[in-house]
This record gives sequence, C-alpha cells and structure tokens, in this order.
Amino acid sequence: MQQSTAQTPPGAAGAQRIALLKVLGPAHVWALGVGIVLVGEFMGWNFSVGKGGAYGSLIACWVIGLLYTCVAMIDSEVTSTVAAAGGQYTQAKHVIGPLMAFNVGLYLVMAYTMLEAGDALVVGDLMKAVAAEFGHADLDPRPFVVLTIAVLAFLNYRGVYMTLTVNFVITAAAFAALVILFFGVSPWEPGKVLLHRELLVDLPYGWIGVIAALQFGMWYYLGIEGTCQAAEEVRSAGRSIPLGTMSGMITLLIAASITWYVAAGLMPWEYLGQAITPMYDAARLTGSTPLQVILFVGTIFSAVASANGCINDASRAWFSMGRDRYLPAWFGAVHPRYRTPYRAVLFLIPIAVVFAFQAPLDQVITFSILSGLLGYTFMSINMVRFRRQWPLGSIKRGYVHPFHPLPAILLLLLCGATYFATFLGYGATLLAVMAFYIIASLWFVFHRYKFVRRGDQFTMPWPRPRGY
Amino acid sequence: MDFWTLISYAAWGIAILLLLWMVADFWRVAQDYDEDFLLSSREGEE
Amino acid sequence: MSGRYEPPRQGGLGQFVDSIFLMVLVFICLLAPVFLSRDQSATAPGAGEVQAPAGEQAPAAEVTWESLNQTPVQARQWEKLGHTPETAKPIVENRFDYTVEPVPLIITALVIVGYFLMMLRWSDREYREVVRERFGDPARRE
Repeated sequence: MQQSTAQTPPGAAGAQRIALLKVLGPAHVWALGVGIVLVGEFMGWNFSVGKGGAYGSLIACWVIGLLYTCVAMIDSEVTSTVAAAGGQYTQAKHVIGPLMAFNVGLYLVMAYTMLEAGDALVVGDLMKAVAAEFGHADLDPRPFVVLTIAVLAFLNYRGVYMTLTVNFVITAAAFAALVILFFGVSPWEPGKVLLHRELLVDLPYGWIGVIAALQFGMWYYLGIEGTCQAAEEVRSAGRSIPLGTMSGMITLLIAASITWYVAAGLMPWEYLGQAITPMYDAARLTGSTPLQVILFVGTIFSAVASANGCINDASRAWFSMGRDRYLPAWFGAVHPRYRTPYRAVLFLIPIAVVFAFQAPLDQVITFSILSGLLGYTFMSINMVRFRRQWPLGSIKRGYVHPFHPLPAILLLLLCGATYFATFLGYGATLLAVMAFYIIASLWFVFHRYKFVRRGDQFTMPWPRPRGY
Repeated sequence: MDFWTLISYAAWGIAILLLLWMVADFWRVAQDYDEDFLLSSREGEE
Repeated sequence: MSGRYEPPRQGGLGQFVDSIFLMVLVFICLLAPVFLSRDQSATAPGAGEVQAPAGEQAPAAEVTWESLNQTPVQARQWEKLGHTPETAKPIVENRFDYTVEPVPLIITALVIVGYFLMMLRWSDREYREVVRERFGDPARRE
C-alpha cells in the first residue's frame, strides 16, 4: 500500500522528505466524524432526559443541533481552505496566533484521548454484562479495555487507510442498527409498541431543566468537528471535507431524531434519564431477541468506532504540535513505511489507559466535553477574524458558508448557554478544567514558545493578513 | 478454568503482543532511518 | 527587521520532561475536583461515594406505583425493565438541585471570559511577530 510519494520540495535541493499519505476520500471523512459521535446516541445523550425531562432533551437536541450546524458550516469553510493535519489547531495558528493554537491543540488532544478512554471502558463493561448474562459474574473488564485500546492503536499505527475503512464499516453497521430498531418498533402504529401519549410528561424542572439538559445534549453530536483532522490525508481536501462533514451532520440529525423518538416512546423519563445503555434497553422492551442482539452489537461497534476515530484525531493534533515544536519536536516524526504519526500514537496509548483506570469516569467525560466546548468558542472567534483578515476573494476558499456573521454569533451565544449548563451540573470540574488550560498557557508562553520558529509557523500560501 | 477466564487471559495476551510489536517496530525504525528524515514532514506541502 | 528568531535546540531530557509535564498537570486537574468535594462532604470518612442518594431510609409506608405517581402504562414499562416499586423509588425521587449561587457563577464567568481575553492578547502579540518574520516589516511594505 505504500506509494512512493516522498517529495522534493522546491528549495530543499535533493533532500528527501516524508509526508503523511494522501489516500482518503469523502466516505472516510464521514466515517471519522460520525464514527466518533455515534456512540453518543447509544449512551450518554439520555442523561439530558434526567436533567430536563424527555421534552427538555428534545429541545436540547434541536438547540445543540443548531450549534453543531454552525460548527459544521464554519469548519467546512476554514478547513477546506486550511488543509493540514492539525485541523482547528492549524487554523488557530494562521488566524489568531500561537498561544491560541497551542490551546486549541490541547483541547483536541484532551477531548479525544479522554473520550477514547470512556469508549474503551464501555466495551469492557459490555463484555462484563454479556459474561454475567451467560452465568459468569464479576468478569474483570480491564483486559478488554486494554485490548480495545491496543488493537485500535495498532490499526492507527499501521496506516490511516485501513483504520478509517474499518471505521466506515463499523460505523455504518452501528447506524444501521439504529434504523433497524426504528422500523422494529412499528412507528406507523403509535400505541402498539411506542407509547408516547402515555409516557411523555411535562417539563419536570421547567425551563432551567432544558438549559441544564444542553450539557448532555452535546452527546448527540460531540466530535463531528474531528473531520478536520483528516485534512492532510484526504486526496482532495476542498471537496472531501465539506462533503464528509455535512453528510455526517445530516446522518447525526437523523440518528438523534430516531434515538429520541424510540427511547421516549418506550421508557418512563425517570428511568431513561439514568440508563447506562438506553438503546439496548429499548430493544429489550420490544421483547425481540434479534433486535436485542443487533442493538448490543451496534453499541459495541459504535464504542469501538469512536475510540478508533479518537486515536486518529488525538495523534494528528499531537503530531502537528510536535512538528511546530509547540511540543517536543520528537513527536513530529512520520513512520517511513506506514506514513503515520506513529510516535504520537504510541505516546497516547498509556495516557488513555491511565485515564480509563485511574480517573473517575464522569470527571473524564466532563473534561472532554468542556474541551470540546472551548474549541467551539474558539471557532466563532476564529471565523470572524478569518473573514476580516482575508475577505472573500482575497484567497481561494474551497467552500463559502452563507449568512456570515450569524452562525458565528449564534455559536458564541449557544456556547455561553452550554457553559452555564455545565456550571449547573459540574461547577467544580469547570473551574478545574479552566485552571488546567490557564496553567498550560502560562507554561507555553514563558517556557515552551522559545523553542518555536516564528515565521515558519505560517505555512499557507496566502497574502499578508489585513490589519497586520 | 472456564471459558470467560480463558478469554480474559487471551485478551491480555493479544494486547501485550500488539503493544510489544509496536514498540519493537518503533526501535527498528529508530535504528534503520535517519532522525532528520523522520522529522522532515512539513505542514501544507503538496 | 530581517532578524529571524533562531530557537535553541532542545535536548532529549528537556523534551522528555516537557512531554510528561502536561500529562501530570492534566491528571492533577482531573483529580482535584474529586478530592475537593470529598473534603467538603467528609462527614463520613472513607465513604467512597461522593453524593450517595438518600433513598435508603427504612420504608415507612408501602411503596406502590401509585405513590410514585406512575400511570399503569409507565408501571408496566418499569416492570418490563426489571424494576419493582421499591427499586424504582430512588430513581424516580432523585432530583437535581438547580439553585444558582450568584458568587460562584460570577467567578466562573469571569474566569472563562478572562481566559479568552488574555489568550487573544498574548496570541495577538505572538502573531504580529510571526507575520513580521514571514511577510517582512510592515513599515517597509510596498
């Protein structure tokens, strides 16, 4: 599978250079984005039901859906123009500045590595549940957690094409499981299996519950922006990234609607709000064994796909920061045969295992969500500056999103509401996360930045930014 | 030893093998290639 | 201003320390909220759970689906999920507390806004340096 695409760039007379392989198409981009997110439909989203009731969760699903539509639009424009492995990190470097870029890179690495740990724990717990079903109580989930991380890291180490092709297959299967469940509960005959009329109640906490639900409403879509990380490895970034991201967003909107509709029609909200595997429970309530098996497999697949995409994205971000010396330069290496950022992949394995075993899961997940949220806040600022420094027409854009300042402003407002929601549920963690990023920023400014070459960070063939 | 205990040991075993393979490959690459070549990737180059 | 900034080369040990530093920091910040909240609610030392739901009092009256305000249809779904009124009671009666305390809210808001403002300022300073090195001195432009 190796193609000899080592290039000789102009200026570097004869020196052989190595680069990541450009082999991906739009389907891989879709698989990367949806793969990371889809596990959120199988578990996690339903905590928003506990926070604000079933209707509260539906409103959160729509509001956050709007937030992510803004994210997808903004990301498609910037990434189709700035095509590099760092994704949002590289955007920040070109549009806002080094310190912001360092923070964005950390958001990406933290959000994805922690989510990966959570996904692997899910696989372990499901194995334990199956063992219990077959009469072996108290199976140790740890070997399965480590195995999941090891197998996926191995895939990622060996090459991006196989990694994301596998992700495409298992993500599509997991999505199909949701669709099958939808048709399995005969939505055309309300009252037969689905009992919305009897089960849905008014907002239990009023409107503040709806706002609180926004925090977990993010689960419906969290991670779709990860598509940008593939930018350096797709064959044609200007086309594949917007196509993959937008089709991914549509897939997720469909999946979220199905998920809510089926689950809310089968379970009382108090149960749904604390269920660990709501979609598997939904299948159990239908009384159909095939549906139960399909949803079980779907849940496992979605968790594996998510962890896989997370390893891919976290290692790209870590690698890009190493390449610019924001982190030790040693991480900027590309594998000579597999053409992957292999040192970053390797380094993040023990980190993920430690997150999985040594840290409390809800803290890890909240840290992950908040890192994502900080990233979205960055995107709205980024978009405004991007259009101001390079107005339309001054550089070639792969895609231009409509209604310009509106999505950015909307995104910023929704981010504010979601910070408030997180404050309601996890105020202490919120402050701890901010403390981490503030200390890391100081470390970067006063220690790390001295190792960074200044002008070389700007790699895009653009004119001088307006206003500088 | 029942089936599930066996599967647990198998999981540990495979995981450790994969990790060892990656570490071994990592060393091989460090031996066989020049560090400057490995670090020669640049952002934004076509 | 053609003086290009030439960064120092970082040795192996420095690279190693820098890689580990961030990971140690993240771990401290992950565990801090757990220990802090444990200190606050340290009425029962050694209690593993930070917030145990207070649903374990001796049941005074008999719990029924009616007493939990569940309709017969809802009760049927609960039962299909393997619950009895007794096991469902702590789930149904568990409620979140959404009272907003203004002082922590204001502090949190200030921290987030301050963080972004400081970051934009620093980034801008560093960004000007990057642009100057890449595109030349603005004074001598055109």
